[in-house]
Amino acid sequence: MACCAAAGETGLAMDIALATLLSPMVLFFLLGLGAALLKSQMSIPEAFAKGLAIYLMMSIGLKGGVEMSKNALGPDVVLVMLSGIGLSFLLPIIAFALLRASSRLERTDAAAVAAHYGSISIVTFVAAGQAVEAAGLVTSGYLVAVAAMMEVPAIISALMIAYRGGQNDSAIAGAERGELAQEVLLNASVVVLIGSLVIGWLTGAQGMDRIAPFFVEPFQGVLCLFLLDMGLSAGRGLRNGWRLLGPAAIGFGLYMPLISAGLAAGLALLNGMPAGDAALLITLAASSSYIAVPAAMRLVLPKAKPAIYLTLSLGITFPFNLIVGLPLYIWLAGLVTR
Amino acid sequence: MHTRHRLELIIERMATRRACNILETAGLTGYTVLPALSGYGRGNHWNRDTDLSAAGDMVVIVSVGSAATIETALTQLETLLSAHIGVLNVSEVKVLRPDRF
Repeated sequence: MACCAAAGETGLAMDIALATLLSPMVLFFLLGLGAALLKSQMSIPEAFAKGLAIYLMMSIGLKGGVEMSKNALGPDVVLVMLSGIGLSFLLPIIAFALLRASSRLERTDAAAVAAHYGSISIVTFVAAGQAVEAAGLVTSGYLVAVAAMMEVPAIISALMIAYRGGQNDSAIAGAERGELAQEVLLNASVVVLIGSLVIGWLTGAQGMDRIAPFFVEPFQGVLCLFLLDMGLSAGRGLRNGWRLLGPAAIGFGLYMPLISAGLAAGLALLNGMPAGDAALLITLAASSSYIAVPAAMRLVLPKAKPAIYLTLSLGITFPFNLIVGLPLYIWLAGLVTR
Repeated sequence: MHTRHRLELIIERMATRRACNILETAGLTGYTVLPALSGYGRGNHWNRDTDLSAAGDMVVIVSVGSAATIETALTQLETLLSAHIGVLNVSEVKVLRPDRF
């Protein structure tokens, strides 16, 4: 019986993996990645890509807010939020220690990379939402709020690490007071995500019905377009930046998401989360930022090399999570929520 | 025509506000910020398509002023460029209305 149960688990994991790999969103991502690696001139206009990103964040914020409006927020939700914040603080410390022990990255570069792996990727989160839905699992809207809360603590944690080593660029000429706080707390993704979540929460299902033809039905198509652009960005980043990464750094981009996923799975187990929510929390922990954190790093750790942290986050970890990670995290969520 | 100095600073977008603060504090009466599309430097190619956060984008800041004002700005800009990615050059130009610079 144990043998049959194990075979059943493996079969289920393979089914999820195959369904994710053959989904239009992953295939469009691979199309963009392949095109960029082959030096295709194809490109998505910059302003259009930014518009797509805002659309996706508005859409998941609204959906999350509507889901939140259906249930009162209890202490279990607060516990998950605190778990997310705690993970975001802790993961950069682990990432930094691993990078310093295994790679030749300088302290500033390692701290900047660590910040990316403590923060989250909202696009990976969106893709995970689709994969979780396809796997027949149900999710709660408040995970969108957890995602927004996990953006910032990692930046603070990484800064503390860098400053402990004597790296402090806060006195750069022309710098204004509060510019980092403005950048990390009021960047487009935080404002749009939290703003849409509140609007969705206030207007509820009735409000959503009125805008569903724009924010619900076209969502998957827009996600495909966006992932095509992400593939192009990841491929171009890889083509330009891979020389700066040694095998140890590349390895880090592959194993760090698994360590983060393991820790998040433990917290999901402790919090007694349902499988769908656990899969999303695991994905958030395993993902790495490439929108909010790079901008913050240019302000506070400008000597860190963007080619290193962006190539690792966008060129290595994002494709890994999208292709291999998502089915693995859904499977892991199933294991810890039995 | 009158002689003035033209400062051209190519710098990462995230440091634009810092650079502009320096120019304003130095007393320059104006500047223009232009987007840079792509480039090559220190063995790396860069362009606006590779970075979704736009944190790696570069801009060109152009300003014209008197030699003394430009000199004041240069001291601070040198400090800024020790931390941020960028290059700076200053050239002599002719202007039609000297009172504006």
